[in-house]
Amino acid sequence: MASRAALLVLRATPPLFSFKKDIFPNKTLIFKQNNRNYAAKSCLEPPDVQRLAETARISLTPHEVEEFAPKIRQVIDWFGQLQAVDLQNVEPAIRADNEGETLREDLPEIFENSNV
Amino acid sequence: MLSSAQAPRLVRSPGLRLRPIKCLHTAQSSPLATTTTTAPSSQILTIRKSLLTQQTTAVDLAKSFLDRLRRTEPQLNSFLYVSPDDAVLKQAEELDNKIKNNEKLGPLAGVLVGIKDNICTSDMPSTAGSRILENYRPPFDATAVRKLKESGAIVVGKTNLDEFGMGSTTEGSAYQVTANPWDLSRVPGGSSGGSAAAVSARQCVVSLGSDTGGSVRQPAAFCGVVGLKPTYGRVSRYGLVAYASSLDVIGCFGSSVADAGILLHTISGYDKFDSTSSKREVPDFTSQFVGKDYLESKPLKGLRVGVIRETFGDGVDPEVISSVRGAVTHLEELGCFVTEVSLPSFSLGLPAYYVLASSESSSNLSRYDGIRYGNQVLGDELNSLYGYSRAQGFGSEVKMRILMGTYALSAGYYDAYYKRAQQVRTIIRDSFKSALEKNDILISPASPSVAYKIGEKKDDPLAMYAGDKMTVNVNLAGLPALVLPCGFVEGGSAGLPVGFQMIGAAFDEEKLLKVGHIFEQTLQVSSAVPPLIAGELTC
Repeated sequence: MASRAALLVLRATPPLFSFKKDIFPNKTLIFKQNNRNYAAKSCLEPPDVQRLAETARISLTPHEVEEFAPKIRQVIDWFGQLQAVDLQNVEPAIRADNEGETLREDLPEIFENSNV
Repeated sequence: MLSSAQAPRLVRSPGLRLRPIKCLHTAQSSPLATTTTTAPSSQILTIRKSLLTQQTTAVDLAKSFLDRLRRTEPQLNSFLYVSPDDAVLKQAEELDNKIKNNEKLGPLAGVLVGIKDNICTSDMPSTAGSRILENYRPPFDATAVRKLKESGAIVVGKTNLDEFGMGSTTEGSAYQVTANPWDLSRVPGGSSGGSAAAVSARQCVVSLGSDTGGSVRQPAAFCGVVGLKPTYGRVSRYGLVAYASSLDVIGCFGSSVADAGILLHTISGYDKFDSTSSKREVPDFTSQFVGKDYLESKPLKGLRVGVIRETFGDGVDPEVISSVRGAVTHLEELGCFVTEVSLPSFSLGLPAYYVLASSESSSNLSRYDGIRYGNQVLGDELNSLYGYSRAQGFGSEVKMRILMGTYALSAGYYDAYYKRAQQVRTIIRDSFKSALEKNDILISPASPSVAYKIGEKKDDPLAMYAGDKMTVNVNLAGLPALVLPCGFVEGGSAGLPVGFQMIGAAFDEEKLLKVGHIFEQTLQVSSAVPPLIAGELTC
């Protein structure tokens, strides 16, 4: 949660990078099949790899940033097809949930390796 | 070219050399009549019988497997760690003493097992295929490993995988690339490629893998072995290195459905250390593994089978389609009632899966900080220690997925990606549920293609992800699935295996295994072995 707060602070400045579209002509079948309307995603800023790496605490080299940025952009664009689906009134599922309630009674339990 | 559209029986064409396994013994001991059809084809049951009747000793058996393992390892590289011979033979000796004293044997007594390296074993390193956990020895055994040991199994080593389970080829391992035993220039699949290759090349009898988006089922199809993914919650995840906690399960590989089923039965059950593990009773699904002679003429009469229409369209190899249709024909011959089922939301599963998996992995992998455990790279202050340790410890696929997950979970993006993916999960889960009310099992190919060449998909992430489209929906819905070989296509020196996938209702592994077992017993595909070891198994 702290990283989200940090990101809110960092987002005060506009994004530093803008990527050219379609620098990789090698489109996959997935792009061909789904001619969905991507307009919904244009209001979301493209991934800023350097900033994401700082949030995730991974020190990327400049070469790695250059290498990853187009691939990540390509995959995030592909994720964009989720925007076009009508999901009104659909409950999000945190997991498959074939079991229903799995909470136990709120009673203390002593374990064998307890130091108490 | 092999065409399964003609008949489900394998056609012997000049390019294919299919030699059924006769038995596991060395040339000295007397052969066991495993060509009978009164006993089901199952290495575990054959081993048990020959140990109890003292036709072979556990030590001899272990020696023959270790021999084959060491001979094939330089070409396959399926193991990241192999237990020293004397440790394995000592356990085998103890078992032999138990047999001599007529003590009770566990269900997996004498069975050599390989364990995927993302499952914790206290007496062996557990690296999850990553440099960040190089030489890490967990202080505990995973529950599945503990149960295996209690059943008498002998853990022979830790198998190779894509780093942290992220990948579909096993090329993502930080240590080595595993080869497919059917064609050494091709991938074994992933992420449990090492486990699949080890069973395929008979380096061990059975093995454990993990399945988050198809990581047991796809390599099973590529390597021509049986892969079983249980229902989410059937097997405890305690000790499985977490990749995506709402999707991960531990799965089983075997050379026959019976072996995979017996292994699953051993490791299943409620575990208080895994709050998502199910308290449901585990039925004894092993008692239904009978020999062919005990089957009636239409043993699956009345079983409703639904073939998923969306899995036979664009992007799937025509040879794979014809092989799977051959399997469906065989099921019809066994008495099944087959219809086509449409799941319109099917194609949404792949992007939803990758959003969920990347997001959950970005959270799960934040524990690898260079402080708690694993390798550490020093820095001037804490953030750079974290940054350098993680940058040097993680491979590029892992880094990319963490970054994508971080993006999808960022403030302002959560609703657009993660929440939407969860809503898609609801839709997919419900669509499978309703399809499984009208059908007992659903069928699809296990993968859109057979094993491809090493290096072919390495630089194109989306092309690699596209190969998972048959399997990810099953993880989203938390359902069980069984993959078994159904034919071959041309390639390599003896053909490349094709696998088909059967999906069952939640916690209905019993039915899946029954159908799979009967299918397999009446169609001897699984007795084929890769040319790498075809000459070695003698009777």
